[in-house]
Amino acid sequence: MKAQTSARKATRTLVFHLFASFLGIAMIYPILWLAASSFKGPSEIWRKIYSLIPENPTFINYVNGWKGFGGTSFAVYYRNSIVYTVLAVIFTIVSSALVGFGFARIRFRGKNFLFACMLVTMMIPPQIQIIPQYIVFSKIGWVNSYLPLVVPRLFGQAFFVFMFVQFLRGIPRELDEAAEIDGCGLGRIFVSVHLPLLKPVLFTASIFSFYWTWNDFFSPLIYLNDPKRYTLSVALRSFADPSGLTDWGAIFAMSFLSILPVIALFIAFQRFLVQGIATTGLKG
Amino acid sequence: MKTPSGRTGQSGQRGSNNLAGYLFIGPWLFGFIALTVIPIAASFIFSFTDYDILSPPRWVGVQNFKKMFFQDPRYWKSVKATVYYALTAVPLRLIVALAVAMLLNVKRRGVAFYRALFYAPSVVGDSIAVAVMWRQIFGGEGLVNAFLRLLGLPGKRLWLADPKFAIWTLIILAAWQFGSAMLIFLAGLKQIPYEFYESADMDGAGPVRKFFSITLPQLTPIILFNLVMQTINGLIVFTPALVITNGQPLDTTNFYALYLYRRGFENFQMGYASGMAWVLMLVTALLTLLIFKTSSRWVFYESEGK
Amino acid sequence: MKRKLVALLCLALIAVAGVFAQNKKVELKIAWWGSQVRHEATIKVIEMYEKLNPNVHITYEFAGFDDFWTKMTTMAAGGQLPDIMQQDYARITEWQSRKLLEPLDSYVTSKVLDLSDVAKPIIESGSIDGKLYAVSLGSNSYSMVLDVDAFKKAGVPLPAQDWTWDDMEKIALQIHEKLGIYGIGGGFEVDELAWKSVYLSDGQYLYAPDGKSLAYKDDTLLVNNLKMLQRLIKAGAAPTYQEYMATFGGTVGNIQMDAIVTGKSAIEAVWSNQVVAVATAAGPGRNFAVVHLPRLKKGGQAGNFLKPSQFFSVTSQSKNKIEAAKFLSFFTNSIEANLILNAERGVPVAGKVRDALKATVSPVVKTVFEYLDRVAKDAAPTPPPEPARHAEIRANVYVPLIREQVFYGVLTAEEAAKQLRIQATEILKRK
Repeated sequence: MKAQTSARKATRTLVFHLFASFLGIAMIYPILWLAASSFKGPSEIWRKIYSLIPENPTFINYVNGWKGFGGTSFAVYYRNSIVYTVLAVIFTIVSSALVGFGFARIRFRGKNFLFACMLVTMMIPPQIQIIPQYIVFSKIGWVNSYLPLVVPRLFGQAFFVFMFVQFLRGIPRELDEAAEIDGCGLGRIFVSVHLPLLKPVLFTASIFSFYWTWNDFFSPLIYLNDPKRYTLSVALRSFADPSGLTDWGAIFAMSFLSILPVIALFIAFQRFLVQGIATTGLKG
Repeated sequence: MKTPSGRTGQSGQRGSNNLAGYLFIGPWLFGFIALTVIPIAASFIFSFTDYDILSPPRWVGVQNFKKMFFQDPRYWKSVKATVYYALTAVPLRLIVALAVAMLLNVKRRGVAFYRALFYAPSVVGDSIAVAVMWRQIFGGEGLVNAFLRLLGLPGKRLWLADPKFAIWTLIILAAWQFGSAMLIFLAGLKQIPYEFYESADMDGAGPVRKFFSITLPQLTPIILFNLVMQTINGLIVFTPALVITNGQPLDTTNFYALYLYRRGFENFQMGYASGMAWVLMLVTALLTLLIFKTSSRWVFYESEGK
Repeated sequence: MKRKLVALLCLALIAVAGVFAQNKKVELKIAWWGSQVRHEATIKVIEMYEKLNPNVHITYEFAGFDDFWTKMTTMAAGGQLPDIMQQDYARITEWQSRKLLEPLDSYVTSKVLDLSDVAKPIIESGSIDGKLYAVSLGSNSYSMVLDVDAFKKAGVPLPAQDWTWDDMEKIALQIHEKLGIYGIGGGFEVDELAWKSVYLSDGQYLYAPDGKSLAYKDDTLLVNNLKMLQRLIKAGAAPTYQEYMATFGGTVGNIQMDAIVTGKSAIEAVWSNQVVAVATAAGPGRNFAVVHLPRLKKGGQAGNFLKPSQFFSVTSQSKNKIEAAKFLSFFTNSIEANLILNAERGVPVAGKVRDALKATVSPVVKTVFEYLDRVAKDAAPTPPPEPARHAEIRANVYVPLIREQVFYGVLTAEEAAKQLRIQATEILKRK
């Protein structure tokens, strides 16, 4: 009996790994291609396009790309991106969680109407909002700075608010009640009861916020004039000139470098993807 | 199957607490009024004007809408392309995301590695590097054709230049980037109390029964979230259509948001573009409303009722 | 005692005034688009200028082509345009008609902006209604790049400068027969300038001077040109539009994949400032020649015209127009600066600069210089910049409805030309 189950278990594990790796290769192939191409010299890149192994691996793309523009190396753009993104993520997650709690757990007048307004703001393409927004910001003198990019993050983002709302609604009210009986106010309930249970959500939201901000180029393009303030995303796009000779090697190299932090963060913080709610304490 | 005993206590019927409510949503409300309402209202007004961005807007009434609906063949082409995309990419993404999330919701060794693998495509976002990659893969001598030839099929189609199939390169891109939806489902799966499954095991329920009686119902709030968000994002899709296919061939990938952007920024017809944006917004809002209205029938909130 | 105090006070005042005068720097903002090479070179020139003019401080910004226009348009709306912006032949009318560009004639007359070494047609190419709004940064012309080795292998002699479309068709078919590759690449199928050049070689402009209607009455020239391309495609001597698109579509243009670079075609139509890119991408050991666009008939008018590759304009929102004009003068006339810029934006417009550079540039760049000298000899007069509606016609009519639909076989060439006329006229007539 035991031999059978452990054999069955082994086959299941094998099948799992086979299936997952097969799918995984399909997923990762384009990125492997990106990495491989970044190590190919300019004459090789467009020749044997599909080979994942460069004939003459070289670092030249990294060297050229890292030089950046006009004496500003990519280190500067990296730093700009890191500082901006970390700040933006912290502001976004904290404010969105608070707002989400308000919508999810508190009854107040006008709640449904305001919630609907919030959802609607996600339905208008950003390309339309940019011009009036820019005019507003230029009138208060915030252009050519990070202010228009960071300050709005203090006010929550609809996507994350909605996400927190849905997850909060999945937490049984009994937990709230129990805490209430112990004398906790709303804030305390949120911090001590909900937040620990929302670890997977916080992780997910933070990762999303991070990579969206990291990859966003539209707003930084418009609001940052001084090239020394450019983020990675904007700097990368300044390499491409459709009318001239684009240094694709440099673009691949720098793109690959810009993907690494996000993936590294994901791997590092995956431990927050843990089992959320345990309700043993509630039974009986 | 046992669930935590329901107490219809006071917290389910908390009286209105306006102060606390507005305090918590205060940040959003402030930002909404100070920063978002003005651009949105402005874009609404622009839609009734001829606004070329570089000089002040000029009132033209409903002319933009008349032109849009009755005189612009490219408008309806873009609507068709966008709807087709949303109707295929969204379900595809959601189903794959849920399936893979379930696959990876285990405590096996190496699962963290696989999760990173499946999530990686979403991370590359809409960069030009992805665009180049994608065009290579679907090119005449590309990977897809090479793969088809391996299977013995004729592998010569120029996917990106074929009006029938170009849009599928973008749909497949959307499916490839299911990682974010998957992650959200994973978080949702992690929130299902383990005890539910234990009780079901004790009742002798098999995996299929467990899926349909526990997993799915508990996931419904998350499914709703993903459905709404993916639909909205599917309708305002922009960057891939811009960098990978540029709206071509024959406007089959000229998605609504791309066409709108072109009209606004390249043809300096911001009034027209704003009109297009508001039509999109209204349609999306209606669709979302529909989804929410039906949601009371199939979504189950742990915190709100048994 | 009192006198000493007064003297000290005066000294102090003078010292303070001196400090103020020195710190009163002029601030200039410049924006351009391009690639890494251009960004680097332009920044070096800016630094050079600042050293020569210590009272001027220049801040700059740059981006890729598409991003640049998104940025500038947004900044214009917010009143935040830089003092000097790079401009585009296809767009200056649009911007000037909204009063965003500053007329420069007064600066030319007062020699603040010294254009005495620039040929009149080049100056005129940046003028609208007789007023100068943009200074050309380099001359460009449509060109046919020939793979000399492929021609040799096929035993086909290189065409003369004044070859005709018929010649081209014959040569393309010959090469295809002999070598199996494409005679000509897909450049013509997608570029709107074939439309313009065909009519120029017949002495006609596309648009009437008032920009409210098409200037040419006869669609036959366009139809014949389209039909010729269709014949070549059918014979396999030119790539199908789909093939060209599968390689070049999207907005991630890629010269390295061009047919002539990969040896898949013997001729390609490119702009003269892309010839260098083609040669560089093809690598060493390849030989290219550059000839005019084909003409309608032997000994007839060339379809080539000298197009400014880019301009610099002074914006009307600028608060330092004189200093801006001075910078433009430097940019145009300084030999040291242009040695750094290395003709990357096109052949320099000032005669002395051209001569100086000819001695130092690489052989490929020299070929381009010499090509433009030849073109200048019999070029068609440069047409005025496109009217403001041209961008819309090109984006919403010409490419999607005419070019694409003819080459996808949805419309015949005759039908397409008719549609083009109807829709373009309707757009031009609109208020």
